[in-house]
Amino acid sequence: MTAPAEAALRRRFTLANLSLTALLAIVSVITVTPFVLMFVVALTPEGAPTLPAALPDRLTFDNIERVFSAAGFTRWTINSLVYSVVSVVLILLTASMAGYAFAKKRFPGRDTLMWSFLATLMVPFQAMLIPYFVLVSEMDGIDTFWGMIVPTLANSQAVFLMRQFIRDLPAELFDAAKVDGASEWRIYWRIVLPLTRPILATLGVFVFLWHWNDFLWPLVVAQSDDMRTLTVGLATLRTETVPLAQIMASAAISVLPCLVVFGVLQRYLVNSIATTGLRG
Amino acid sequence: MAETLPDTVTQNADGRPATPRGPRQRLGVRGKAPWRERLREPAAGLLFVLPMLVLFVVFRFVPAFGALGMSFTDYKISGEFDFVGVDNYARLMRDPVFAVSLKATLLYSAFYVPFTVLISIGTALLLNSVIWARGLFRGALFLPYVTSFVLAGIIWRWVYELDGLVNGLLAKADLGPVDFLGDTTLVLPSLAAVSAWKGFGYSMLILLAGLKAIPTSYLEAARVDGAGPWQRLRRIVLPLLRPSLFFVLVIETIGAFQVFDTIYVMTGGGPVRASYTLVFGLFDQGFRFFDFGYAATMGVVLFAIVLVVSLIQRFILDRENT
Repeated sequence: MTAPAEAALRRRFTLANLSLTALLAIVSVITVTPFVLMFVVALTPEGAPTLPAALPDRLTFDNIERVFSAAGFTRWTINSLVYSVVSVVLILLTASMAGYAFAKKRFPGRDTLMWSFLATLMVPFQAMLIPYFVLVSEMDGIDTFWGMIVPTLANSQAVFLMRQFIRDLPAELFDAAKVDGASEWRIYWRIVLPLTRPILATLGVFVFLWHWNDFLWPLVVAQSDDMRTLTVGLATLRTETVPLAQIMASAAISVLPCLVVFGVLQRYLVNSIATTGLRG
Repeated sequence: MAETLPDTVTQNADGRPATPRGPRQRLGVRGKAPWRERLREPAAGLLFVLPMLVLFVVFRFVPAFGALGMSFTDYKISGEFDFVGVDNYARLMRDPVFAVSLKATLLYSAFYVPFTVLISIGTALLLNSVIWARGLFRGALFLPYVTSFVLAGIIWRWVYELDGLVNGLLAKADLGPVDFLGDTTLVLPSLAAVSAWKGFGYSMLILLAGLKAIPTSYLEAARVDGAGPWQRLRRIVLPLLRPSLFFVLVIETIGAFQVFDTIYVMTGGGPVRASYTLVFGLFDQGFRFFDFGYAATMGVVLFAIVLVVSLIQRFILDRENT
């Protein structure tokens, strides 16, 4: 927005503008309220009155401690971390390699390949769920980490994003290194990776959130309680057997990494959705 | 998205570059490069793509065609199967449960898509017009999007329950109780509201980007000509926002047909299959009854529906652009 337009807006700081702001504030508060309520219930002392009857008179971390001392929960958290972090590292590596090749290398069948990668976006994961499961069980990957992680690495959004970014890097950078006798791997490792750091960071955040929040695939691939991720474990907690405060405490802990990522990188996330349409 | 894809690489029929421009040529080094040198670039390209290529072949292409293949078999969990032709498709047509799940999915979408699109437009317009604390509001509104559907399901399950938040508040006013998740007519709008709350942030950002792209001079000119806020919205903003709106509409429709997580957590498909949607039915057939062939067939139908929605999108876009 240009400066005069901005000034004009400020001049028109009228009742209408004020009421729009108030309306937006109300909508924002309503949107955030469920999270606040979750934290309130999660921090309510055992036996104390809580929502919806009354607000608790004091807050405690007892429920959080209780949740972590239950064997399953800690294990689910570790599983979610492994599933997310390992996937981030491997997707960043394979997608940046493929993106580099698609952007800067000429080889037979390159464009056909790129298009067929993108075409897979058309097929919803749910439509392939059964053959996916059969395939991974044929490879003895059910109830293992690799069986959970490796199939999710074939991510065309990641490849395409890397390719678009690398394509805009000037060719001279790579040519100069080639003339200096650098090997192809060295060019990738020493030039491509450092130059793509901003897009790698953005993609990493998205991949982390996709995996941390993922549910259907971990649900079918994790057969034993020991292999459950947080989302799958949380879904098994029922009010009939677990006190509500502990369910909410578990839920609150599960959302903390998302909140941290969001708090630190909000601008990043928002901009990349606006400019690339990257979808969670 | 597809519009940005076409590449400008010129290749011969056999795939080699039509005009070889290696670093040597470009830097003016004369003479024909040895074959090792000429092979270097394609070989490197293929090697860099190889890991992802293997992943795609094994975990995308094989399952995609596998789903189609399995839909013509009676694949069982033991791995034994016979080809049964189109029996699975015939069975789907006769299956009252499948009819119920299709109906539930369509009804759910009929609630979810308008909910989400209207909230997204509303919040995007508000965000675009306020001056104070825009970043703060945007962050608050976008927050649910970075969390999981499972989390949304857990919180809202409690909000909706008979001894939950809303009914507790209603009881104080001597009202209710309302059985949001136990009532066959209320369950789908209730679920759709949860997904809308969790998901609208994405569409809001897309629409906000669309709004930002509208030149302020258009709006100023209209204002000078005496157009009120409503007229400006109807005559200028919404028409110029059409492409973004259209994208959002398609994305959300496709998403609605794939709903699963919240249903698994909140209703388990009930009550009496009122929220037994397509993907929930697929999961049920696959992992409760282990009828893999039949479940795979439902997957093919899901793909067909998504494909039709996308093709309609393309068709309308193409018609508008010509």
